[in-house]
Amino acid sequence: MTEAAKKETPKGLDQGIEVGASSLTGEKIEGVIKSVLDNETGARLKTYVDTCIHCGLCSEACHYYLSHDNDPRYSPVGKVKQTMWEMLRKKGKVSPEFIKKAAVISHTECNLCKRCAMYCPFGIDIAYIMSVVRRIIHRLGVTPLYIQDTAHSHAVTMNQMWVKGDEWPDTLQWQEEEAQDEIPCLRIPLDKEGADIMYSVIAPEPKFQAQLIYQAAVIMDVAGVNWTMPSGIGWDNSDMAMFTGDNELMGRIKRTHYETASRLKVKRIVMGECGHAFRSVYDMGNRWLGWREPPIPIVHAIDFYYELIKSGKIKIAKKYDQPVTLHDPCNVVRGGGLHEKARYVIRAICEELIEMHPNREHNYCCAAGGGVINCGPPYKMTRVHGNKIKAEQLFAAKAKGAKTLVTPCHNCHSGLEDIVHHYEVGLGLKFISDILYEVMEKP
Amino acid sequence: MRKHGLGLLTVLLLMIFFLVAAHSQEEMISVDNSIFPNPERVASVFEHEAHNEAAEIDECNECHHVYEDGVKLEDESSEDMLCSDCHQIEVSDDQPSLMQAFHANCKGCHRSEKKGPVMCGECHRKERGGD
Amino acid sequence: MHELYGLLTGPLAWAAFFVFIGGSLYRLATMLILVHKKEKFIFTYMSWKYSFRSIFHWIIPFATTNWKKHPVLTIVTFAFHICLFLTPLFLLAHIVLWDEAWHISWWSLPDSLADMMTLVVVGACVFYLIRRISLPEVQYVTSASDYVILLIVAAPFVTGFIAYHQWLNYPLFLNLHILSGEIMLVAIPFTRLSHMIFSPFTRAYMGSEFGAVRHAKDW
Repeated sequence: MTEAAKKETPKGLDQGIEVGASSLTGEKIEGVIKSVLDNETGARLKTYVDTCIHCGLCSEACHYYLSHDNDPRYSPVGKVKQTMWEMLRKKGKVSPEFIKKAAVISHTECNLCKRCAMYCPFGIDIAYIMSVVRRIIHRLGVTPLYIQDTAHSHAVTMNQMWVKGDEWPDTLQWQEEEAQDEIPCLRIPLDKEGADIMYSVIAPEPKFQAQLIYQAAVIMDVAGVNWTMPSGIGWDNSDMAMFTGDNELMGRIKRTHYETASRLKVKRIVMGECGHAFRSVYDMGNRWLGWREPPIPIVHAIDFYYELIKSGKIKIAKKYDQPVTLHDPCNVVRGGGLHEKARYVIRAICEELIEMHPNREHNYCCAAGGGVINCGPPYKMTRVHGNKIKAEQLFAAKAKGAKTLVTPCHNCHSGLEDIVHHYEVGLGLKFISDILYEVMEKP
Repeated sequence: MRKHGLGLLTVLLLMIFFLVAAHSQEEMISVDNSIFPNPERVASVFEHEAHNEAAEIDECNECHHVYEDGVKLEDESSEDMLCSDCHQIEVSDDQPSLMQAFHANCKGCHRSEKKGPVMCGECHRKERGGD
Repeated sequence: MHELYGLLTGPLAWAAFFVFIGGSLYRLATMLILVHKKEKFIFTYMSWKYSFRSIFHWIIPFATTNWKKHPVLTIVTFAFHICLFLTPLFLLAHIVLWDEAWHISWWSLPDSLADMMTLVVVGACVFYLIRRISLPEVQYVTSASDYVILLIVAAPFVTGFIAYHQWLNYPLFLNLHILSGEIMLVAIPFTRLSHMIFSPFTRAYMGSEFGAVRHAKDW
């Protein structure tokens, strides 16, 4: 299984890695590794490495390990051994070949989902160690091509998908017009200063999932929310720079996002059903900018729907009648504790929720998050073969009667789509808003 | 008659007492630990005559000491008493406990003289115990 | 033998305790200084409530998902660590030595129980050794140092057991016992045995992040 997986995803066909590594010298590698370790890491990395007792208890936390028939190279600590330990042991004197391998491991065989942090008896943050590896890879210019391209897009356009300045308001107005066929007086208010809420999305929504903006507009309108969306930069809350280790760019992106909200004088930022963006605006970007917590309250879609349903601003006409199962995304559940609210919402809008096991904080990762899916087609099968265990988990939920798979996260969505398709699981896939839009009372 | 009998009995008892005392001293091979309710270790090996000969101890009060106000009285000795007459099993403020006294008396001297056993199992010897 | 025993229980014992206590304080201080210098934010995220919530879950057998997943390991690990701490601290022979040197003493374990606890420690070391050799995910991340620290921990208990029973050459094994105990003390701050010092902090930090920021369980 392991060998087959390796053959089907030939490592080394990634132009970002190949071209980047071709210009590396031993001196440059050593200099960058030392610079990152000396200047950018501190007590955490040192204490984690010194404290790890090499017990292997993190192994079963990892979906890659479980999916590759317990191949130790895929265990969290196994991946640290192949990357960070070696860099530390050789004091940065590693080869370009080693760097290429480290780039593949850290970028495509770890989703930074932090499930392993819950299995290490010492609470060692292995995902953080892999982030440090990615930072080194970034500073060496060996980041996989596709995700580097999204980072470039962020740097140039302040959004992830090269959406041009005029395309954005154009898309919003297009969705507004579409929605007005259903609710004639519906508006998507642009740049409305002093609105209660700024609604932000990730760039793939205007690029190819514009119906999600439509649904959000309907939900906002029906609930009578005083909301707005920015017409210029700052509308995209996504952040691939966070995953490539380009922290400086991550800072720019998040500053733009917060400052847009602040310019509009809104009370809160509500965001669509995205996991990594939540991690970025709720946990990572703010810290880089020196904020303990986000400077403006961040409300994830799950939390927002919970609020609307609980307060009665949204009423349910007829519950979704197919049994659903819920995939807990790492960034909003292990990263934001929204699992019980998600269940409240699901139960309010669906007839039946069939739990998959494990669930909540212990759910298996989708294998797409952490920037892995953004590394593009060369690694599609790395993700799919690396998550056989997810397919098994879904089959079990299906056997108990689940027909629809709900997950409130874009990356999970795309990753699970590949899993469902490849393993022929046969579950329909939906966002919460897909169902909420369908079952809510509309005027 | 009754007076004579009593005198005879006293003499007899005294004779037996000294006989036993002398005999037991000759044969003494271990410290009497019977006063300890539940001793964790076997009684310490101690061959009185052989020890004193090897250690060249002539004065009884080298070991059978008498202390007064924390000062050892050079011309007094206590070989006619039991150690436990002074040293209690429980630790008290003014007096080392019986175990502390044994350890201090034996091991303390051995360490300062750099002779004789100092490790636990050199005195509390399992093969000699058989208790 | 007098000279050797005197050396082991005198200057070397002083040195071992000095290095153990001083070294542990040094490691702790350098860690905190490093946090202060480079990752000050860690202090702002630390929470007593969530630190202890996390620590309590992980120091109770079977209170976490991963302990439940590995019942044998869990029992062995808890028995090992409990015996590893309690046996030397409450061994009668050790307390007698403290008493002779410093006139301090405390409650002691019956020798027969201490004897069994020693066997638990040694048995657990054997278990860890077998686990290290036979489980691929452990073997893969094992280096020579892992065997060395296992040996460092097992040695005082093995030699202590042999010495207590007065098997083989008693004075030799007692001296080896003292020496290996001193080696273990010295090794704690400067090997990965330092998880004794650091693990409460790594656990507490992860507990704080999970509790206060992530609003999720970390067990």
